[in-house]
Amino acid sequence: MKMEEMSLSGLDNSKLEAIAQEIYADLVEDSCLGFCFEVHRAVKCGYFFLDDTDPDSMKDFEIVDQPGLDIFGQVFNQWKSKECVCPNCSRSIAASRFAPHLEKCLGMGRNSSRIANRRIANSNNMNKSESDQEDNDDINDNDWSYGSEKKAKKRKSDKLWYLPFQNPNSPRRSKSLKHKNGFSVCTSAPNTLPLLFSSSGELSNSDPFKYSNSTGISYETLGPEELRSLLTTQCGVISEHTKKMCTRSLRCPQHTDEQRRTVRIYFLGSSAVLPEVESSLDNDSFDMTDSQALISRLQWDGSSDLSPSDSGSSKTSENQGWGLGTNNSESRKTKKKKSHLSLVGTASGLGSNKKKKPKPPAPPTPSIYDDIN
Amino acid sequence: MNKDAQMRAAINQKLIETGKRECFKELLRPKLTECVWKDQLKVHCKEVIKEKGLEHITVDDLVAEITPKGRALVPDSVKKELLQRIRTFLTRARWLSL
Repeated sequence: MKMEEMSLSGLDNSKLEAIAQEIYADLVEDSCLGFCFEVHRAVKCGYFFLDDTDPDSMKDFEIVDQPGLDIFGQVFNQWKSKECVCPNCSRSIAASRFAPHLEKCLGMGRNSSRIANRRIANSNNMNKSESDQEDNDDINDNDWSYGSEKKAKKRKSDKLWYLPFQNPNSPRRSKSLKHKNGFSVCTSAPNTLPLLFSSSGELSNSDPFKYSNSTGISYETLGPEELRSLLTTQCGVISEHTKKMCTRSLRCPQHTDEQRRTVRIYFLGSSAVLPEVESSLDNDSFDMTDSQALISRLQWDGSSDLSPSDSGSSKTSENQGWGLGTNNSESRKTKKKKSHLSLVGTASGLGSNKKKKPKPPAPPTPSIYDDIN
Repeated sequence: MNKDAQMRAAINQKLIETGKRECFKELLRPKLTECVWKDQLKVHCKEVIKEKGLEHITVDDLVAEITPKGRALVPDSVKKELLQRIRTFLTRARWLSL
């Protein structure tokens, strides 16, 4: 009701202006008061003069604007070249590699336990196979030199796995070939062909069933039976770079049928064919070594009228009494007679020496055994 | 005079009730900060404090010294704008209460 009595309509503009000025003054005074309270509080709390620094220390914190430095004046890559001393092994390590090194050095990272377990497992395996060899010493008297050599070589090459650039435990390694086709194959360091002809008799001593860490199989450690079964199920083409056999399927797109055929011929004699064409057959009464395969291949080269394309198309099985059996799983389909006979002759001669032979004299051996025959 | 005083009181009340007073304050504060009014006043404060001594300064002293300076330091642009808004408010109030 009071408001209605005091209507503003009676006010003229000057009065309105005066009132406006008053309101404005009040507002400004409020602001000043608020500011005074802030200052007073700052003074009493002691932070009022904090932003007053002396010019000397002001210069210390000036913003730096030079190329190659950040605004604090620090160099960018400073820590890359720095070296730290490891408190555990007292070695000097690069700063950027220090953390992983410490992890392994102290044995506290995720990989350290894996590596340790693997080492234990390996040393156990090696101990076991060593004792195996001693037991078989009496049995395999002829095997003394090559067996121990091979074992030594194998062990040494196993150790090569632990070279820094080839860490088998790093999670980044592809874990192929663990249980491909029912068995896994040990891969030593990439060996060249001369080591190819390991005798099958020795395989029981060495450990062919370790996991390989690559995507292929090293054929050196395979016996004829394994080779044959491998080649019936896998591509088997030997890679140029790693000297390992391809473990992909028989129709793997990386390799051609020709390559596969060549590999089979190389391993199993020139009568070997690709498994697609094969018919089921009994094969192994004969335990033929890889060296014998090479020998038979050499024999074939001289007298054979068999060409790889022929063997591919043949379907007959005439080698029941052949006696060559094993390595020529694909060669079951061979048809030629003349060559058979010559092969049988040499094969039986070779067959008498089932135990492993020293590798170098592979070519000359046929002549020796011919004499024996 | 009484009437005027009453009128002013009524207007103030209206101002507060509608929340316009707070509104104007919030408008003024950033403007003053922006136009370095606060910094100038701060410098003046420092002088006063140094004069009076850090330990013995009181709110009253500060207020007495600072307020006149503060009023004077307000830039004209800010003053004009604020006055304009107040006038607008008053005119509207006058029309509304008619």
